[in-house]
Amino acid sequence: MKNSIWQKKGSLAEAYWNKGAAGFPVYDMHGHMGSHYAIYFKRCQAPEMLAHLKRAGVKILAFSHHDALWGSLRNQQVYEICRQYPETLRFYLAINPHFPEHIKEDLAKFESWRPLAIGLKLLSDYHRVPLSDPKYQYALDFANERGLPVLCHTWGGSQYNGGPVMLQAAQKYKQAKFFMGHSIFGDWEYARRCVQESHDNVWLELTAIPGERGIIEKLVTMVGSQRLLFGTDLPWFDEFQAIGGVLAAKISEEDMKNILWRNAEAILRESGALNA
Amino acid sequence: MPELDFFDCNCRFGSAAAGEAAIATLSELLAEMDYYGVRRALIRHNNLDKGALSSNALLAEALTQKHEARLVGACCILPAQCEEIPEPEEFFAWMRQSGMRALTLSPFEHRYLPNRLTLGKMLDAASERKVPVLLNAFAGKWPELYAFLQEFPKLTCIYVESVGKWGSDRNIRPLLENYQNFYFETSGYWVPEGIADLVEKYGNRRILYGSGLPRYNQGSSMLQLRHSGMDAISMAKVAGENLEYLLQEAEI
Repeated sequence: MKNSIWQKKGSLAEAYWNKGAAGFPVYDMHGHMGSHYAIYFKRCQAPEMLAHLKRAGVKILAFSHHDALWGSLRNQQVYEICRQYPETLRFYLAINPHFPEHIKEDLAKFESWRPLAIGLKLLSDYHRVPLSDPKYQYALDFANERGLPVLCHTWGGSQYNGGPVMLQAAQKYKQAKFFMGHSIFGDWEYARRCVQESHDNVWLELTAIPGERGIIEKLVTMVGSQRLLFGTDLPWFDEFQAIGGVLAAKISEEDMKNILWRNAEAILRESGALNA
Repeated sequence: MPELDFFDCNCRFGSAAAGEAAIATLSELLAEMDYYGVRRALIRHNNLDKGALSSNALLAEALTQKHEARLVGACCILPAQCEEIPEPEEFFAWMRQSGMRALTLSPFEHRYLPNRLTLGKMLDAASERKVPVLLNAFAGKWPELYAFLQEFPKLTCIYVESVGKWGSDRNIRPLLENYQNFYFETSGYWVPEGIADLVEKYGNRRILYGSGLPRYNQGSSMLQLRHSGMDAISMAKVAGENLEYLLQEAEI
């Protein structure tokens, strides 16, 4: 391994290789919690997830609960989970357009759930309602009025949350902070457009991308590392795999720090979400 | 902890026909391995779906270039009846001369059924000689993979998957439990601390490091393994010793 990135003296990669941390906190802005019908999870509840986060030097995990996304768990209960771990957990209110009463009731409590509640999570592909549908309007207006983060599942080619739909949303709701989950995976040109043709209100979130050879490099070149956020879908993906994917990308260490740490911290600090 | 010696068992080399990710030259491949600290790799040709014989020839030619014993090849087989590849003894002799130490197959692109009728002669010989077979073609094709392993239960085979990222435990664990010569490669297995779980349940001999290069870089999965939570002995086995052992055990 001589002369590899992991052996480069004083580098972030060397620090992570040897110590599992590099002297700065990592912010994971795309997580989940709870079991999921499509996969076996051994570690999907808060205690074991927090153990994994701690090992990997992750300071904050912002997540939405799977069951809340399916409508079988209310956001109030997710808030109660976060109250047990205020040092580490923040949550996005799960917004399911098929449960309009839940949306109104839960958003009415949003302010009381701050700073543990930081924004909204939309999962249009899975709910099979395009983000442009009026069923989302109440929630998106709410986020827009308050300048809240809205983490959206996005994917290239999707009619529900693909590039054109996401660009339209980011242009329409100018104050909302759109976190494009998975960076509109595969449609990198629309990912670029969403950042550059909106109102300084779009960040590309990297879940499922670290490790894909050359993609982080491409996104940094296209939009700059200041517009990228780190995420893992935990408990889906391993923190070290994803951090390794950032450290293994052929970008500068300043870019790595922006992605893993600075960008998210700045957003959360500005909104008061770090004051739990 | 001693330095890990990585031996990548899921690595493609060569140009690709349909615009897939590619590393076209051997020097480029070796430079990439140096960048991440991967000492050796078992490589198959990137274009093997588009021609077993042509890609075998290209891979054999590439392996004649200088690589300081860092690379070994996996060549592609076809059904015996059309006489496109020679009898097993002759084929293994060619493999030996060409730096090939493992087999692979692409039945769904090459349009045949992967069973005893089509592949029995070659894969029975491979079983007897403990020649590893890479099951890259079966990635995500669970009914086909299950049927294949029922046909060849003693085959030494490595399931390599870099197409999906979701943990496939519900499908993989029954195979690890029931087929003692079934090995699992980690490039598509991003489950938090999942590698350590598999090792704990099935032993440290059955899991192999692979990167999925060139779709994936080699680094992300290295850090995942480095901090998997396993003991140093298990980590070394997964990183490279298991593949080394399998290739040494193969009688080619």
